[in-house]
Amino acid sequence: MKTGFRQSMAWAHGWAGLVTGWLLFAIFLTGTLSFYRHDITAWMRPEWRPAPAIDRATAADRAEARMQVIGTDANRWLIDLPDGRDRAAHLAVWRDAGHAPRFQREEFDPAADAPVVARRTYGGDFLYYFHFDLQMPSVWGRLLVGLAAVIMLALIVSGVIVHIRIFKDFFTFRPQKGGQRAWLDAHNALGVLALPYHLMITYTGLVTLMFLYLPWGVDLAYRGDRAAFHAEAALAQPAPRPAGRPAPLVPLGPLIIRAEARWGVPAGRIDVYRPNDAAAIVRIHAADSSGLAHRRHQIAFDGTTGAIVAIEDGRPAGILRAAMYGLHLGRFAGPGLRLLYFIGGIAGTAMIATGLVLWLVKRRPRRQRVVEGLNVGAMAGLVIAIAAFFWANRLLPAGLADRADIEAAVFFASWALAAVHGACRPHLRAWVEQLGLAAVLYAALPLVNAATSGRHLGYSLVQGDWPMAGFDLAALATGLILAALARQLGRR
Amino acid sequence: MKALAIASRVLAAVAGGYALAAAIAASAATALPGQKAEAALIGIMLGFVAYTGAMIWAFAARSAWRAWIGLMLPTGLLGLVAWIGTIA
Amino acid sequence: MLAMIGLAYAGLAALCLGMDRHHRQVVGRGIKTRATLTLRLAGTTILALSFAAAIASDGWVFGPVAWCGGLTAAALALVFLLPYRPRLAMALGPVGLLIAALAA
Repeated sequence: MKTGFRQSMAWAHGWAGLVTGWLLFAIFLTGTLSFYRHDITAWMRPEWRPAPAIDRATAADRAEARMQVIGTDANRWLIDLPDGRDRAAHLAVWRDAGHAPRFQREEFDPAADAPVVARRTYGGDFLYYFHFDLQMPSVWGRLLVGLAAVIMLALIVSGVIVHIRIFKDFFTFRPQKGGQRAWLDAHNALGVLALPYHLMITYTGLVTLMFLYLPWGVDLAYRGDRAAFHAEAALAQPAPRPAGRPAPLVPLGPLIIRAEARWGVPAGRIDVYRPNDAAAIVRIHAADSSGLAHRRHQIAFDGTTGAIVAIEDGRPAGILRAAMYGLHLGRFAGPGLRLLYFIGGIAGTAMIATGLVLWLVKRRPRRQRVVEGLNVGAMAGLVIAIAAFFWANRLLPAGLADRADIEAAVFFASWALAAVHGACRPHLRAWVEQLGLAAVLYAALPLVNAATSGRHLGYSLVQGDWPMAGFDLAALATGLILAALARQLGRR
Repeated sequence: MKALAIASRVLAAVAGGYALAAAIAASAATALPGQKAEAALIGIMLGFVAYTGAMIWAFAARSAWRAWIGLMLPTGLLGLVAWIGTIA
Repeated sequence: MLAMIGLAYAGLAALCLGMDRHHRQVVGRGIKTRATLTLRLAGTTILALSFAAAIASDGWVFGPVAWCGGLTAAALALVFLLPYRPRLAMALGPVGLLIAALAA
């Protein structure tokens, strides 16, 4: 290309943005919603009301008792204690070959000392897994998302290179000029004003799956022995060999108290290797929400005596990795900071959307029907699909066995239908109709909630039930914003 | 032809860039001083930065040939470093 | 956190008003160099106070993270309000200072 540096960057930015934009939009939108996935799950299971929270040591003891019931003959137990946002404990059990089932999971409410009983749904976790997994088999989704993420970083860098007057135009947004100017201003503003966020969230996203993407250094330096690497990096320890002699497991509650006394932060995860065996090891990790560096603090106790076997507080590169992991997940964030994370994510989503629209606007009066159809279908269609997912959650009978998969099917079917609609209708009409439909679907969610559960908005506001009330209010606000957008477009 | 040049650059960006990232991860793990595990982690984190830079380079370079050479040379060198690191 | 965001908005508003283009947008006429320098100094100082507020409330680890987020939110609010209601957008600057004073 005999053009200059900026021109080639602009060319590459435009085309790479087009090719990856729809996927990046989906990743950003579902990822941003994932910051509130526990609240979304709570709304999608209104019949489960968590009992008032108890202290973690008692919760650990009750989880241990439950494990003794459901986790017999196990070679490993995993207990994730509840925290402020996720009110259930997550129990996982692994068994050796020859003992069924090999893997088992349960959600348990330690405060009520009973398993969680609620309708089957993937809840907010559906959106969370989709955003890095795309519901694709094996690792293909993660690989695709990873490639998209690297391209996103290149898009951000090239975008900054192309945006010549980045300081002069820092506060510039001229919607009155209309057309290309307005869309470009919006795209630039959303990019520049949230630039630290976009760079951070994209790069740290790659770090969360770093061992999948670039395992070569580990494989080469450790001659393929990944377990050795994980042990040295203090990321995971190999399971001890079973002694073959049964021995009672120490109570977990006191171990929690000792660990928390040492760290000064809450404990979150309990890993029990070879439970009820003489060689048992209990590894306790600090809670995800306790600090920026994800699960940096660990203590291993002897499972029969309770003596401390190993202490791990992380080494420099490991702490850096853990901090990046923690930054991406944002589990350390309180309500205020979480909202800021969410705003950053919405800005990123909108940046991608304005970019995709800009691509078409720049080429007017030339039309590009394929891109037009894909724009509506991929973007407005996804917004509709998410609403449809929530509607399906409430309209499907609670006792239906396959309802979780049916909810997911409704999500994908709605998205596909929207894509078809987008391909068939005239471009502007398609936008107006889909945004209008989405507006109705979201605004009506609080009504659907009221009609299908006892926890309607009035009730949840009075009770101070912020997860439920927040969902209803957010849905209402989203509906109103989408309606305003649809009306704006409908006027043209 | 222009289309061929573009395709070549895209391939350089996606595949060549990945090769460079892999070479950085591999060479850092075996050749950087200090703890092996620490070096390996740093290598991966640098690898992502390199991949991004490679994508920019693939389209900033003055020709598709330069794009490839600019990526393959460091990849080759770092690959050599990585290999030496395993023997040493 | 409220203090940090209030100060961030006020600081950004001051920096924005110090630019000729935006001064015209709000006031209707161009800005003189001295006024630009004053507003830039004020804006930068207020942003530094915003950073201090972030550290004070969230510490040295979470503070910088929160500050970046707060700046982004304040900047987005300012930039998207400015073309529609320029005077309101600027008036919210002193409101931000007030909120910060009350929250401190």
